[in-house]
Amino acid sequence: MKNLNFLNKTGLCLTKGYKKIESTLGSMKFAVVIIMVFALALVYGTFMESYHGRDFANKLVYKSWWFMGLQLCMFLSILVATLNRLPVKKVLYGFYTLHAGLLILFIGSFLTYTAGIDGMLELMPNEPANNVRIEEDQFVVGYPDGQVKIFTLPTSAFGSKMYFEEPGLKIKKYLPFSKLETVWMEEDQKEADSAVYTIYNENVSEELIMSLHPESDFQSMQKLGPLSTHYMPQTLYKCFISETKSGFLVWDTEKDTCHTAEAMNYEIKSTPTNNRFMIIPYKGEYLKFFPDFSPLALTDNLDKRQDTPYRVFSKKLFEKKPNLFLFGDKTVFFHKRKGWTGREFEKNKPVKLPWMNFKLTLDSYRPDHFPAQIPTYMRPIQDQGEIIEGDIKAVLIEFYGKDYWVRSDQPLALSDGDKQVRFQIRSREVRLPYQITLDRFKMDKNPGTNDPASFESFVSLLDGRTATASEQHHVFMNNPLKYDEFTFYQSSYFQVGPDEYGSAFSVNYDPGRPIKYAGSLLLVLGSSWHFLLRRRKKRRFFEKETTIESDSGEVNV
Amino acid sequence: MFRFLLIAMFSTALAAQVCDKSLESMPVQAGGRVKPLLVHANETIKFITGKSKFENKQALEVFCTLSLSSLGKGEALDLPIKVEHIDAKALMDMPEDSNFLLASSAINYKEKIRATLMKMKQTTPLKKELNKVWARINNYELIKNGQSWTVPLFAQDKVLWHGISDVAKDKPELKSWLEQQKAKYIEVENDSFLMELTYVKSHIFDIAMLLALLGIFATVLMKKASVGLFFGISIILVEIAGMTMRVLVSGRAPITNMYETVMFSGFGALVIALIVMIFKRDKIFLLAGLGYNVLCLFMMKFANNMLDPSISPLVPVLRDNFWLSTHVTTIILSYAALALSWILANIILVRNKFGKLSKADYRYYEQLIATSVKVGVVLLAAGIILGGVWADYSWGRFWGWDPKETWSLIVLLFYMAMLHGKYTNWVDTHRFVILSAAGFMTVMMAWFGVNYILATGLHSYGFSEGGAIFLGVFFLVQTLLIIVCGVSLKSFKSAKTNN
Repeated sequence: MKNLNFLNKTGLCLTKGYKKIESTLGSMKFAVVIIMVFALALVYGTFMESYHGRDFANKLVYKSWWFMGLQLCMFLSILVATLNRLPVKKVLYGFYTLHAGLLILFIGSFLTYTAGIDGMLELMPNEPANNVRIEEDQFVVGYPDGQVKIFTLPTSAFGSKMYFEEPGLKIKKYLPFSKLETVWMEEDQKEADSAVYTIYNENVSEELIMSLHPESDFQSMQKLGPLSTHYMPQTLYKCFISETKSGFLVWDTEKDTCHTAEAMNYEIKSTPTNNRFMIIPYKGEYLKFFPDFSPLALTDNLDKRQDTPYRVFSKKLFEKKPNLFLFGDKTVFFHKRKGWTGREFEKNKPVKLPWMNFKLTLDSYRPDHFPAQIPTYMRPIQDQGEIIEGDIKAVLIEFYGKDYWVRSDQPLALSDGDKQVRFQIRSREVRLPYQITLDRFKMDKNPGTNDPASFESFVSLLDGRTATASEQHHVFMNNPLKYDEFTFYQSSYFQVGPDEYGSAFSVNYDPGRPIKYAGSLLLVLGSSWHFLLRRRKKRRFFEKETTIESDSGEVNV
Repeated sequence: MFRFLLIAMFSTALAAQVCDKSLESMPVQAGGRVKPLLVHANETIKFITGKSKFENKQALEVFCTLSLSSLGKGEALDLPIKVEHIDAKALMDMPEDSNFLLASSAINYKEKIRATLMKMKQTTPLKKELNKVWARINNYELIKNGQSWTVPLFAQDKVLWHGISDVAKDKPELKSWLEQQKAKYIEVENDSFLMELTYVKSHIFDIAMLLALLGIFATVLMKKASVGLFFGISIILVEIAGMTMRVLVSGRAPITNMYETVMFSGFGALVIALIVMIFKRDKIFLLAGLGYNVLCLFMMKFANNMLDPSISPLVPVLRDNFWLSTHVTTIILSYAALALSWILANIILVRNKFGKLSKADYRYYEQLIATSVKVGVVLLAAGIILGGVWADYSWGRFWGWDPKETWSLIVLLFYMAMLHGKYTNWVDTHRFVILSAAGFMTVMMAWFGVNYILATGLHSYGFSEGGAIFLGVFFLVQTLLIIVCGVSLKSFKSAKTNN
């Protein structure tokens, strides 16, 4: 008896609880609150989008779990409110249509979100392609045996920890948005020879970070417009400023010495076609050098040999165009009047360069450090629709006890003993079971300008499953190609050569489409019905009332 | 010296001979389309100097005289180049209180501007201004070099456009030659560019403004609505004529930029107001429609800094007249209906505060406002969905949380919350009217704010530009009006006794 009573009680409690939830969720006040909260979330989202770009706003708001939760609350509110107004009343026909439309729209959108595909297909001219890129980041590890592991990266807008471990490899952290910060790493070895310079004139100023260290993210050779800058070991400085008739400098990378060809008494000969060459005896061999073509020794077949310690530079090569040689705290350049000139940097005193009033200062010289670029998290910055900073994705891994950053802008290969493991951050790809080739891309411009007026792609589609010959299609703005449940839209283009363009299609598969359209239709019909066509008695009432009032002034209703 | 003067006078006289009003109909290719010289001259001179006149000369004459200097016929007029930003002035060694620098000295700063621009990585108001000044100087030089004024030449019925300095050097009878080229252009192509001349010269929207002002006076002063109604209908006809001309010039629906949307919303609001008036038989709708119409016309006339009246080619994705004319029209009509509710709400708020308004009257007007809101909401929902369908049709995405579409949804949500709130005790008559007035701020944000505030991004902020200032002032004035008229002791009491 007691038990039954208890059951009854809990049953009552449950129905009460349900009634309570029902009355809360279905209430008008809940609707008002949830609509306003949703609207405020959207306001926040649009401002975030404006400051930090679409990707960040998506991760922070539109595709976040709490935003999904808000939408679920909206859905439940509408659902319960509609159920509460059953059985059907005639005056509420518009209301039912409108709210049913909304519910169907929600369901369709959810289906699109979960089962739809929305990606990009980039077509190079005349190259068949079937890989659709989807905005979903993946971390890919390629093992030496050909095995590939793919990790889906978290969708958080902020840095998040990752937990994956296997012998030799740990995946520790993911930064969806980061910028590179230059960090100076200590190194006892001699090869960590690095320096920072500033090159400037009245119009431009550029920082030059150069390093000889093999692990550094900075190179020993950089181009600044027409100017080439070369960072070189200290040993070569003296050699570069020595008088030499031939202009040949012989650098022995093993002994780390450098001398002019004359000082070494190497004879310089000429081929019948007047190409200068030089022979250096090495381990019983005679190495042949054509320094006007390559600093490396050449085989009889004129292939370059990397296996000898000698490098022979011809200074003549660097006299025509502006070349700047940097040796830590010294620099050498070719001056048209004065010839090869060497300068040692003095504190806070710029060295004048012989091109366009350029000056050069040494900001720091670090023989025992090398610069590395470490990703640090930052909210991306959007400027005029483009992300100008913070668009680098990075994954921190530990590989045999040492930390490495894998960046989206450059894949990483690390050797495990003698084999290489490759790491990469990339977008998810879906392979279509057929190939699309861009045969021709046509762009019309607004007359007298360079602004595109329209662009069109002529493509051929080859479906190996059903056909042997390809079909021709013409895709342009507002005229997509529909094939096999996918739709291909002309989205943009990119230049690949002078007057040669590649084409980008957005590719879309949307199982929710008919549902969304049905919901939309009901929504529009229902809202017109509910708001505009329904005649309410109240209205008459008010009209009558005012006619009375206009005679009698204030009347308390 | 005397000889020099003589030559100078002679060449000026020559310019005067050529540079008269008959040139206004010469075809010119500029900015991606063919337009009459008058329009091109007005647009460029206004862009360079910020004014449509220089030393009592009309833009056309200024443009012509300066262009002909490249042929040794005109006079190299030293136009004042507009520079507004204080840091840009400092860069060009200008005094702070002057907004102009003569072109002859501005040209010397080109290198400096370029170098400064190259150093600036992020778009700041200064960078935008320097880009503009740079473009102004360039435009000035183009005119002076005889390259801005293009003349059609013909090769096998193909039209090729050349700068006047390249082709008119050896033409002694310049004017008759230009006339010939124009005649030939009309023969080979068409004379549709002349429609733009008619459009510009008719000042049709000024006529509409005059009618609207008269209509407002008539509606306020006369007891009967018929005179006001007459004005309302004639404004609609005049505006239809104006928009038709614009359509004939541009070849597309007149709703593709801010200027045109403002124009169309003013028109749409008046149409909706007249239709609702037929059902409701209350001339306050006419007043609201005319009032909003005149506000739009004022903006079109005086806010050219923000609303560019020139017609320029569309970006490829928008070139679909069917979707343009359905989706955008629906959205703008919904904004028009919401604008009506906004005007009505403000009128009622002011009347309630400063005049006599019985509670029943107050409720009656609430119903009127609610009617406009409902029309607006239905149109807005339909417009948003049409936009989704267009997006789906054009690039395969029904919804992408793009700021413009998101803000239109925010507008819809705000009004939905308001309408739902009417069924709770949170929103009484008074609050409903206040919310209707406030709600239009979300419309303005979706309409202008997305372009003038959001699109500029975080770093080009600083309310330095026309659009942002306008919006800021609007938000401020509307908020003040609500505070003054809405949150008063009297209405607070009346709201209480109502409950």
